[in-house]
Amino acid sequence: MSNPLLAFWFRLFGRDDDHRLSPGLRRRIPVASASQASATIFLILRRMRAPLIVLITIFAISVLGLTLVPGRTEDGQLWRMSIFDAFYFMSYTASTIGFGELPQTFSDAQRLWVTVSIYLTVIGWAYAIGSLLALVQDRAFRQALALQHFMRMVARLREPFFLIAGYGRTGELLGEAFDALGKRFVVLDDDEDRIEALELAAYHADVPGLVADARDPGHLGVAGLANPHCEAVLALTDDDEVNLAVAMAAALLRPDLPVIARTMSPAIGERMAAFGTPTVVNPFDRFGDHLRIALRAPASYQLITWMESGPGTELPARGSPPERGRWVVCGYGRLGRELIPDLRAEGIDVTVVDPVADTAAHEGGIVRGHGYEPAVLQQANVAGAVGFVAGTDNDTTNLSLVTAARRVNPGLFVAARQNSPSSAPLFAAMNVDSLLVPTEVLAHEVFTQLSTPLLWRFLQEVPARGDRWAARLVDCITQRCGRRLDALWKVRLSRADAPALIPWIDTGEARLGVLLRDPDDRDVQLPVVVLMVMRDGECVLTPDDDFVLAPDDELLLCGRLAARRAVDTTMVVKAAREYVVSGRHVPVSWIWRRFSGVA
Amino acid sequence: MNLEKVVFGFFVLLAATLNFGFFIGDIADPALHNVYELFAAVVVSLIATVLKFGDRTQIGAVHLATSLVADLQLIAATIVWTYAAHISTDGLTAAAMASVVSLSGGALFANVVSVVLLVIETVSFHRR
Repeated sequence: MSNPLLAFWFRLFGRDDDHRLSPGLRRRIPVASASQASATIFLILRRMRAPLIVLITIFAISVLGLTLVPGRTEDGQLWRMSIFDAFYFMSYTASTIGFGELPQTFSDAQRLWVTVSIYLTVIGWAYAIGSLLALVQDRAFRQALALQHFMRMVARLREPFFLIAGYGRTGELLGEAFDALGKRFVVLDDDEDRIEALELAAYHADVPGLVADARDPGHLGVAGLANPHCEAVLALTDDDEVNLAVAMAAALLRPDLPVIARTMSPAIGERMAAFGTPTVVNPFDRFGDHLRIALRAPASYQLITWMESGPGTELPARGSPPERGRWVVCGYGRLGRELIPDLRAEGIDVTVVDPVADTAAHEGGIVRGHGYEPAVLQQANVAGAVGFVAGTDNDTTNLSLVTAARRVNPGLFVAARQNSPSSAPLFAAMNVDSLLVPTEVLAHEVFTQLSTPLLWRFLQEVPARGDRWAARLVDCITQRCGRRLDALWKVRLSRADAPALIPWIDTGEARLGVLLRDPDDRDVQLPVVVLMVMRDGECVLTPDDDFVLAPDDELLLCGRLAARRAVDTTMVVKAAREYVVSGRHVPVSWIWRRFSGVA
Repeated sequence: MNLEKVVFGFFVLLAATLNFGFFIGDIADPALHNVYELFAAVVVSLIATVLKFGDRTQIGAVHLATSLVADLQLIAATIVWTYAAHISTDGLTAAAMASVVSLSGGALFANVVSVVLLVIETVSFHRR
C-alpha cells in the first residue's frame, strides 16, 4: 500500500521554493487518495488469489475427467457426458447440494472419478471459504474497511460539520447538544471503546467516528479537515500534547477555520496561541474566573449560569457569597495553581493544604498533610475560615474533605471538584455551594461559542457591568418572560432575513420598542428582552426602547417561543410591520393592495 | 529469475494461444472447433484473471480489465454453445457455431491486448 502521508510530506518539504504558508497549502492537506479507499477490495483480491486458483484448477480437472470417463446408457450404448452436463454435475456436487446422478445413472468408472473429485472439491471449497473468513477476521482488513466506510461518510457530508478530536465526557456532552441542534460532527479518538460508545449513542444523524491518533495530520485530513463544509476544529482530548498537535495542524493547514482547544496547563495554552488564533479553554482557569464572579457579583453569576445552561432551564437560585475572610484550599494541583492567584487577586487570604506542595512555588500559608485528617484541619484553622475548596483529582478524597470540613465548621462556603461523571449523584447529595465539573465547564463554554457566538460575546461583557446591572436585567427578564428561559435566539435585520423592516429602518425612525410590540395587538409588549445589539463589531448591551435600529444590526433576544414567532412575523410580513409601527391595517394580498391604492 | 513473473506470463500467453487455437478455421464448421479447447481457454483465462488480482499499478489495472473482457467473451461463447448443443431443437447449426467462434474471436482480441501489455511491461521493466 502506498502511504499518502509520505507523499504529502515529500510534497510539502520536497521543494525548497515553497515553505511559506499559502492558500495553495490547503490543497495539500493529506487526504488519502481514492486508491487508498479501494484498498479493501484489493486486499480481498490479493488474499483470495491462491484459493481461487486452486478452486478453478480443481473444477477444471474434475469436469474434464468427467467428460472423458466412459459411461453406459440403459440400452448398453457407450455414453460420455458433455462438458455442460459435467459442469452442472460438478457444480451441485462441489457445493454439497447433490441432486443425484444426472442426466442418467453413472457407470462404476464414472463413480470412481466422481469420488476423487468430491474429495478434491471439498478441500478446495474449505480452503477458499476458510481464507475468506480469516480475511474478514483480520484486524488490518477490518481497519481498512472501517477507514473506507468513515471516508465515504465524511465525503458524503453535504452540510456544515465540526471536527471533534477526542470523544470523552466533554465530547459526549457536546455531541448530544450539537445533535439536538441538528448540527453534524465528525469524531476522531484513539480509544476503540469510545468510538464504539459513539456508534451506540442514540443520535439523530449518523456520526462518522474513526479510531485514529489525532496527532497525525493524515487522520485529520481523512476526518474532513480539507472538506469545505468543515466549520470548526475542536481539540478535546485529555492529553494536552495531542490537543496542541491538533490545534497546530489545523492552524497550518486550514488557517481560515476557528479552532477550540482544551488544555489543563497555561504553558500549553500559550504554545497553542502561537498558532493562529485558537480559542483555548482551560476549565480550571474558567472555574477560577467563575468563582471570582460568584464571590464578587452573585447576580452576574446567576445571569451567566442561567444563560449558559441553555433553553428550558429555570432561573437558578442566587448564591449568597461568604463575608470576607480566609479560605482553605485542599489540593495544590492544576486547579489549585489556577484558583489561588484568582482568590489572591480578590484580596482573599488563602491557606493551602497539600501533602506534597512545593513551598517555594507558593508564598503564604502551606499546611502539609491530608485535609481529611482532623489534626491537619485544626492546623489549617478551618474553624476560622469562611470558604473551603476541595480540589484534589480524586472524588472520594474530595467528598471526605467536604464532610470533614463541614463537621468542623458548618457555615463554610464550600466549593468542590468532581472528576468523574459517575460521582455526580454523590456530589448532588452533598449540596455544595459551588461545584466544578471540568468536562461540563468545557462543554458549556465550547457549545456557547459555537452555537450562539453572540451570546458568548454577551457573557464576556457581563462581569464588567457590575452586579446591580445584572440584578436589574434578571428582574426584567423574569417580569417579562417568567422564570423559565424558553428561547435565546439571534435575528439579523438584513434584507434577506427581515424584508418587511428594511424600508422602515431606512427612514432612520425605527425604534427598538416598536419592534417588540405584539403584531396582533400593538398595545401589548411582547414577552421578550433584547440582551444585546451588535453593529459593525461594536455591541450595545440591553438597549432601551428608544434605541434606533440600523440595517444589518444583529440582535440577541431571549423570551417566550410565542414572542419569537411574533417578532419573526413583524420582520417578514409587511402588513404586520405597518400595523405595529402606525396602527393602520393595510391589505395583505396583491389584489386588495391594488384596489386600496397602497401598492 | 522471478518465478511469479514466469507463471504470470505463461498463463497470459497460454490463454491467448488456446483462444487462438479454438478460433482458427472455418467459422461455421463445428468440426474445425474443438469444444475442449474452448473449455481449456475458459479455465486458463480465469486463472490468468485471478493471477492479476491485487496488482495496484496502472498497468496491472489495465491487465485486469482486458482479462475480464476476455473472460466475459469466452463465457458468453460457452453459454451460446451450451444453448445450441443442449437446449435448442436444431442442435449445433452453422449459425450457432459461427456466433460461438466470433465471440471467442472477441476474446482473442482482448487476449492479444493482454500479451501486448505483457510485452510492454517486460520491455519497460529495466528502465523503471
